[in-house]
Parts: sequence; C-alpha cells; structure tokens
Amino acid sequence: MNESYKIISSSILFWFSQKKWFVYSILISIFLLNLATPVGLSIPAYHSLIILLLVFMLVTFEPIPFPAIALLTLVLQVVLGVAPPNVIASSLMNDAVLFVMGSLMFAIAIVHQGLDIRLAKFIIKIFGKSKRMFLAGLMAISAILSSFLGEHTVIAIMLPIGLSVIKNIDTQKLDGKNAVLLTLFSIAYGTIIGSIGTPSGGARNVIMINYLQEFSNVNIDYWKWMKHAYPILIIQLVVAYFVLQFTFPSSLKNIKMRGFKKNVGKTNIKKDINHLFSFFIIIGIVCSWFAFNETYGLGIIALTGALIFMIFGMISWEEINKNTNWGVILLFAATISLGFQINETGASSWLVVKFNELLSTLPSNSMDLSWSIMAVLSGLTANFFTSSATVSLIGPMAIELHPTDISFALSSAIASGFSFLTVISSPTAMILYSTGLVSTKMFFRVGILMFSISIIILYLMSQFYWVNL
Amino acid sequence: MKILIAIGGKEFSKPTLDLGMKIANSFKSSTTIAYVGKKISQFSEKDVSVVHQNLDDRELYRPGIRTLEWAYDFLISKKYIEEKELNKFNDYLLVDEENSRMKVLLKGQQSDNIDLIMRTGEIIEQLKNEVEKNNHDITIIGGGGNKGIHQKLIQFIDSSVFVVKNYSVNKTYKILLPINESKGSDMAIETAINFAKSYKLDVEIISVPEDRKSIDEVEKILTKTKEKFSKNKIKSKTKIIEGGAVNSIVNYANDDSIVILGVSPKNPIMKYFFGSKPLSIAQKCNCPVLITK
Repeated sequence: MNESYKIISSSILFWFSQKKWFVYSILISIFLLNLATPVGLSIPAYHSLIILLLVFMLVTFEPIPFPAIALLTLVLQVVLGVAPPNVIASSLMNDAVLFVMGSLMFAIAIVHQGLDIRLAKFIIKIFGKSKRMFLAGLMAISAILSSFLGEHTVIAIMLPIGLSVIKNIDTQKLDGKNAVLLTLFSIAYGTIIGSIGTPSGGARNVIMINYLQEFSNVNIDYWKWMKHAYPILIIQLVVAYFVLQFTFPSSLKNIKMRGFKKNVGKTNIKKDINHLFSFFIIIGIVCSWFAFNETYGLGIIALTGALIFMIFGMISWEEINKNTNWGVILLFAATISLGFQINETGASSWLVVKFNELLSTLPSNSMDLSWSIMAVLSGLTANFFTSSATVSLIGPMAIELHPTDISFALSSAIASGFSFLTVISSPTAMILYSTGLVSTKMFFRVGILMFSISIIILYLMSQFYWVNL
Repeated sequence: MKILIAIGGKEFSKPTLDLGMKIANSFKSSTTIAYVGKKISQFSEKDVSVVHQNLDDRELYRPGIRTLEWAYDFLISKKYIEEKELNKFNDYLLVDEENSRMKVLLKGQQSDNIDLIMRTGEIIEQLKNEVEKNNHDITIIGGGGNKGIHQKLIQFIDSSVFVVKNYSVNKTYKILLPINESKGSDMAIETAINFAKSYKLDVEIISVPEDRKSIDEVEKILTKTKEKFSKNKIKSKTKIIEGGAVNSIVNYANDDSIVILGVSPKNPIMKYFFGSKPLSIAQKCNCPVLITK
C-alpha cells in the first residue's frame, strides 16, 4: 500500500479519534437543523436551542479548545439568524463577564503573595489546640474565604497547607489514608460550600444576579444574597464536618502539626509588608462589593483589585497574563450571550411551557415539584458541565419558571454550586483530583450523600426561611 | 536506539520498568521514563497549574513526582543506575520544556542516560507527542488498564510498541516469532534476532498457514528465517501450527513467551474499525507482546 496514503489516513484517523465528539456534535446539530421547527417555536428560537445543545456537548467532552467553542457559538448565532451581529456583539460583554475576568486576575494576584504561610499561622493560633479542631478550622476558614474570594483563590492557598500536614503519612494503612482524605476533603468541601455564600463566591452567582436584573428587573445586592445564602452555608458546613468524620474515621495521630509549625515560621520583613498591604486590598475590595456593587458592579470592583496589585508592583502583568484562563473568559462571554438570546427569542418561555405541560401529566403537580426538578437538574447539570456554564445557559429557564419569585433563580444558582459529585464540576474538585490522592469514585461516593443532603437543606431553607425575609 | 517506558501506578509499573530497563541495558539505548498525569479539564487547567507551582515553591511534591521518585529508587535498587551521593532524588529541578511536558533534572544524573519526564493530558496524545519529539524506537507500556489504549497506541504511535503483560522476573521466557510472508514479519525477524542476541533466549519461529495448499510455501519461509538466525549463531526451532491464526498463536504462547510480531499491512482505516491479527494477539495474549514497526 502506498506509504503516503497510509500516513494521511492514519493522521485523519488520529484526528477523528481525538475529535470524535466534535464530529458527532456537528452531525447531531445538522440533523436537528433539518427537522421541522417545533410548533410554538420561532426559527431563531429553535436555532438557539440547537446551539445550546451543541455547546453542552462540546463543553462536556472538550474535543476542541474552549476559545474555539466560544467563537463557534458566536459565529453560529449570527449565521443561523438567531440575532444580528451587532446584537451578539453587545451581549458579549457585561458585568458578569467583567467579574469572571476580574476575579480570575484578582485570584492570581492574591495567590502570588504567598499568603498561605500567614494564614496557616493564624489557623494554628486559633484552632491548633487539637488536630480535630485544626481540621474543622481549615474547613471553616476555607468556607469563609471562599465565600468572598471564590473557590479558585482559596483552594490554591489552602491546599499547600493541607498537603504540608499530611506529607509524611503512610497511605498504605487505612488510618493514614483516612487522615489524608479527611484533611483534603475538609479543605475542598469548605471551599465548595463557601462559594455559595456571597455573589463574589462564584461567577454563577453574578451571572444569575445579572439575568434577574435584565429579565425580571429584580435587583439582588450583596447583602440580600448573603442573607439568603449564608445560613445555608453554615448548616452545610456543620453537616459536611460530620459526614466527613463518619466517612473517613481516623485517629489523626499521623498528622504532623509540629513540622508544619516549623515550616510556617519562615517569613521576612518585605513579605510581612506585602502581606499586610495585600490584606488591606482584599478587605477594601470585599467592603466595596458590599457598599458599591450597585453603583459600580461586582466586575469593575474585582478588576480594581487586580489593578491595585499591578500598580503597586506586587504582581507583573506577565504573571497575570500567563496564569489567567482567557479561554474560560471567552467561553463565559459567549455562553452568556447565548443565554440572552435564548431568553430574547422566546426559547426559554417555550421550554418552560413544555416543562409545565410535562409536570401536569404527573399525579402530583405543584410548585414544590417544579422547584425540586429545577434544583436537582441545576445541581446535576453543574456537576457534569461546571456550575457557571450551567447557570449561564439554563439560568434564563429557571427565571422564566417564576419570574417574580426569586427563590427559583436563587435555588438554581445555589444548587449549581453543589459540586460534590464529579471532579470536573469545579476548580476545587479538579485540583483535588490532580493531586492523585483522590479518585473519581471516591469523590462521587462521598459526594452523593453530601449532594442529597444539600438539596434537602436548600429546599427546607427556601420553604421556611426565605419566605420570612 | 531510544526507548520510552510509560509508567502509571507504582506497584503496577514494576514489571514494565524492570523489563524495559533490561531491554534498554542490553541494547545500550538511551531511555525516557514518562509519567502521564491525569487529564485536566480546560475549565481548571490554569488553576491546577497555579496550585502545582505553589506546591513546588513550598517544597511539596507535585503529583507525578512521587511516582517518578519511586521509579528512580526502583532503578537504583535493581542496580540499573549506580547509586551515588549526588544522584539522590531529594534535590530535583523541574524544567517546563513545552506545553504539558516537564523534565526532571537531578544533580549528578548526567551520565545515567535516563530522562525522567512528566506529562499531563490524554495518554495516547501525550505518548504520541513524546515519541515524535524524541524519535523513540520502542514504546514500552504495562499490560493492565483499558485494552482500547493498547490498540490505539499500536495504531497511532510511530514506534514499535511493547505491551508488558503478566511479566515475572523469576520466569524463563522464550521468544515466540509468528511470521508470514508480509513486510511486517521482516521487521519482526530483525528485532527478534537483536533480542535473542542480547538476551540469549531460545527462539521458536512459528507460522499458521491459511490453508493446506500454502503449507509448502510456509515451510520455505520458516526454513529461510531459521537460516537467518543460524547465521547470527542463534539456536531456533520452527513449527507449523494449524487452526485460526489468533487463537492458535495465543494458546501456543501460553504465559512463558515474549511474542514478537510485525505490524499488520492492512489499511489503517480498516484496522481502526475492524482491528487486525497482531492487535487481537496483543490483546488476548497472557504474556509480553512486542509489535514492531
């Protein structure tokens, strides 16, 4: 057989084996485009839903880079007539996208300062009396910080602290293995749970606030969100602590806090000044989110944080540029733009009508049932698709279900933060998985219990606490 | 000759590393030991990279380094590397060479002729890139895990592929060389001669005729091949086996052979969708199998 033919066909096959989900997704989309438009749905609305399905498949299986998915989303919206180019361009940038950009940059600047050593000292001082208290402290501090600074910042700071105390543990023995898992999961769950607490805890929260403002003209400020979400966070933390102690019983005798205490002692004056200044910047930004979020928007304030770090030379642009995930920013911009078009074209209303029709066929049809389906669907989708992308795409539907009742939109955003099931669901889970110490099965095994309990807590709080706010 | 040894979990990789280093030593070849870390979702890849960098700065081992450290210590314990005060693993430097590839440099390691590499991502793509970058002649991989991986490696990697399945250091192996009239068999014969010379193993050349008419032809091929071994002063036996090619070879190989096969001349597209005899033999055999390219 001709050698060049073999090389070419082998290259094509390799491309296909790596990109097969891209081919399948395109073929499915072409097939759907050739079907008759469903009754009650306009052509642009139908096309926006096909693009939605395409984005779901491409983001889930990642056959092509995220920036390519983002560009494809924008191109298809124009080519398939969902909206004219100018409308797509104007929906591409808003405060939620600025927040994603700003919070990623701000996180890199904070992590770059090496605050983990300072934080470790603080945790030992407050919680160092016993090992179990220390782990509870790790979890609580992770949650509080994550609620304001976001998951990706906090896990990057807290993980080195966790790994320091478990680095000499023999994981061949069950007691040692459990001690390692208990430490890592305490940090991870603290970080994941914390991210629901305030709007700045996760991009999904800001995206939902933005959608509520645009679609229902409902304003949720920083404080209002906290009043709804923080009690859930606190209850979840207590539950998570006991779930982890029950799942990973360990004497903790192998955790070496002494060696850790020695390690955290190494600081110098220059670092001290940097840390103090970083602390003031962080406090200033968090206070600004409280006080000025309606005037300036959460995104602009987050960007200001990164800007101050750069102006004072505490981080270089090269460092920020190297570590910022520009692909994710572009993807969020494109998916939020698609979310707007799904709402504008009436596709979300059509989906909600179909959803309600489906519910009416069930024996028990009530608000509770539609809430439960929506919350579980948001949570599950987020676990296979990541939370922010889920909210940016199904957020319009959650709002459309009950446009005047914010509990649906809030529940959808908060349930999307329950990234307990899969390692792809959040940066925290993926970072934990990347250590090689936690398997996907282990993550799911613990997570299914935590996910179910969290949904129940959310339901009870929305029924008995939110109604009184 | 350049050899690539892919390792995964610590205990599972022992036979792969052991046999791989024996081959590397006998051919005096340069060796790359590669650990391919878990694929990271694009959503989190920058976050993971920042955290790993942070772990380095705190002198905490980043994932994968412990496996490479284990591999290095294993090579020292088996005397594949001479133990010196300078080449201990506790003083290493990670060099970020390109996207997804990092080289581990140890003080005083220069003379060992062994590279330690960490890659992150989809295993087939990463090993393919590693082979393309360094023109490796043989890729050695363990026999466990997903069988589809072996099929894809054999199909897409531009080097011979050695699947180390059910290998035991204490067992005496023979080289089993199934041949036919194809070009792939010529490559397999060359490799088997080199292996037999270096290892001083018995060689058994076998062939499975497709029908009774072709027995004479097969006998001629076997005699000609045996002569090649004799010229190289290697003792060999020949045998004709009847039955279906794949099952007959798999049964004959048992668990005490190192099977050396040529790659199938079939169209790559047909191979991808319908497989090939060497691929089926590699999957079904309960012993190490080398597919030469």
